[in-house]
Formats: sequence, structure tokens, C-alpha cells
Amino acid sequence: MKKTLTINLANQVFHIDEDAFHRLREYLDRIEGHFADTNERSDIVSDIEMRISELFNQRITQQKQVIVIQDVEEIIRTMGDPAEIGGEEQAETKDYTRVSKTKRLYRDPDNRVLGGVCGGIGQYFKIDPLIVRIIFLVVFFGFGIGLLIYIILWIVVPEARTTAQKLEMRGDPVNASNIGNFVKDEFENVKRNFQGKKKSQG
Amino acid sequence: MDLENVKAQMRKGVLEFCILSLLSKGDAYATDLLNKLKESELIVVEGTLYPLLTRQKNAGLLSYRWEESTQGPPRKYYALTEKGREVLKELQASWKGLIDSVASLVNQ
Repeated sequence: MKKTLTINLANQVFHIDEDAFHRLREYLDRIEGHFADTNERSDIVSDIEMRISELFNQRITQQKQVIVIQDVEEIIRTMGDPAEIGGEEQAETKDYTRVSKTKRLYRDPDNRVLGGVCGGIGQYFKIDPLIVRIIFLVVFFGFGIGLLIYIILWIVVPEARTTAQKLEMRGDPVNASNIGNFVKDEFENVKRNFQGKKKSQG
Repeated sequence: MDLENVKAQMRKGVLEFCILSLLSKGDAYATDLLNKLKESELIVVEGTLYPLLTRQKNAGLLSYRWEESTQGPPRKYYALTEKGREVLKELQASWKGLIDSVASLVNQ
């Protein structure tokens, strides 16, 4: 005996085994993730869902009323892996990543004492901003030009405002999954700060 | 050189041309196209077709309408637009030119 779920796939009702459901859910999620950065996603996904529901219908009979895991596995083989489906555009995707993978110097608004110049330089060279700050102070007191350099950099170097700019600042390629990770990290940070505040208040 | 990538690129161009050609003979829904393309072994996995159709539609080469079906849910029928016909004409011309030049080059 197995537990089944009822799903609505392209406006068709199907009874599906629990394990088969999870396999299908995971597959559709991967397809959706694959086209995440294009505006064609919803069209493509709904077309594919429609085709899958058609294939499901062919497998339903009076004697077999439930979609089982073998059905899902076979249909996934017929439809192909997201990488194969999108495989045709490989060359374009590669170019896109290369273009936006450039590392740029930004001022880091999340790691600032004054304008975030030292934080940004630290990110750029992957060193601790504290060391950059000490060097600036030494140059300031030793030679008297550190402050001038700092002010010029403050004016000239743009601040990393958007997520894409922050990724560029770190030298990470700007693509959908990295933006996703970045947003998740930010969210975790906010949550931690919030919990920390609650604790210190309580 | 990535042979698989070269093959995929080749197939992609031809596939787009074939979709337009098939639709020039009459409107069709995705599964009709799939069956014909699979018969002639132009498509390996079915999923490949859908991104191409969506892109051609977004490029204004195709339009679609919903049509009731006797066996199940409504179907999405694709049709060539005026722009699609023009693009197809150009592709046909360049396809013929390509075959001739490749044939003469390979057989030299």
C-alpha cells in the first residue's frame, strides 16, 4: 500500500504516488531554475507541463489509475535533462558569463568607516580591510598624502549599490544562482542581526 | 574543439529551419511537430523543442491559438506569421546555397 497525492498539471487532475510526486517536483524545479534568468521561463515551463500531462494521460488506464515512479522516470528520460534542453544555447551562456565575470573596484557600503574605500580595496585584493586602513594611516602620517588619495578615491570609485555590483566587487560571476546565493546570505545576515538585537534587549 | 557542442550548434540552426518549414505546410501543435522531428531523428530529447518554439514566438515568427481537442485538453496550435514566412524564405535560400557550397567543397 502506498500513499498518493492529487495534483493539477496543466489543468488536468492526476493521482500520483508520493515518491513519484517528489521526483516530478524536483525535475520541474530544475527546469524552472535552468531558465530562471530569461523571460521565456513561464512559457517554456507551462508547455513542458502540458506535454507531461499528455504523456501521463497516455499511461492512465482503467486498470492503472495512478502515476508511479517508473512513469515519471521514463517521461523525464523522454523530455531530457534541463542541461540537454538548454544545451543548444551553451555557447551564448558561456559568453555571457565571461563578459560579466570581470572584477571591478567598488566602495563597499557594508564594510565602511568613512566612505568604504578601504573595504572595497580589501575586497578587490582579497585582504583584510583593516590592513588597508593601517597602510592608509601610515601613508597619511608619514607622507601627508594619504588623506588626499583617500578623498580622490572616495570621489572616483563608485559605490557597490546593486547585488550585481557587489558580486563584481567580490569577483564572483554575475548569474542567477550567484545572485540567489547572495540574496540568501543577506537574508541570513539580517535574521542573525535581528535575533542578536532581540537577545540583547531581552 | 568540443565535438558535441559543434554538433549541437549545427542541429540547432537546422532545427529552427525545420520547425518553420513544417509550420509552413499547415498549423500544428507541439506534439505534431515533435512526432515529425523525432521520426527524422532531428530531436533527441523532446524538451529541446519548447524553448525554440517560445523563442520563435517571442521573435514574432510564430503565433499561437488555443483549439479544443476531442481527446483531452485544449491544444496550443502554432502558425507562421508574415514575418515568419519571410524569415523562412531567407533561410531556404541560404540553406540551398549552403548545401551547394558544402557539397562542392567536400567533394573537391
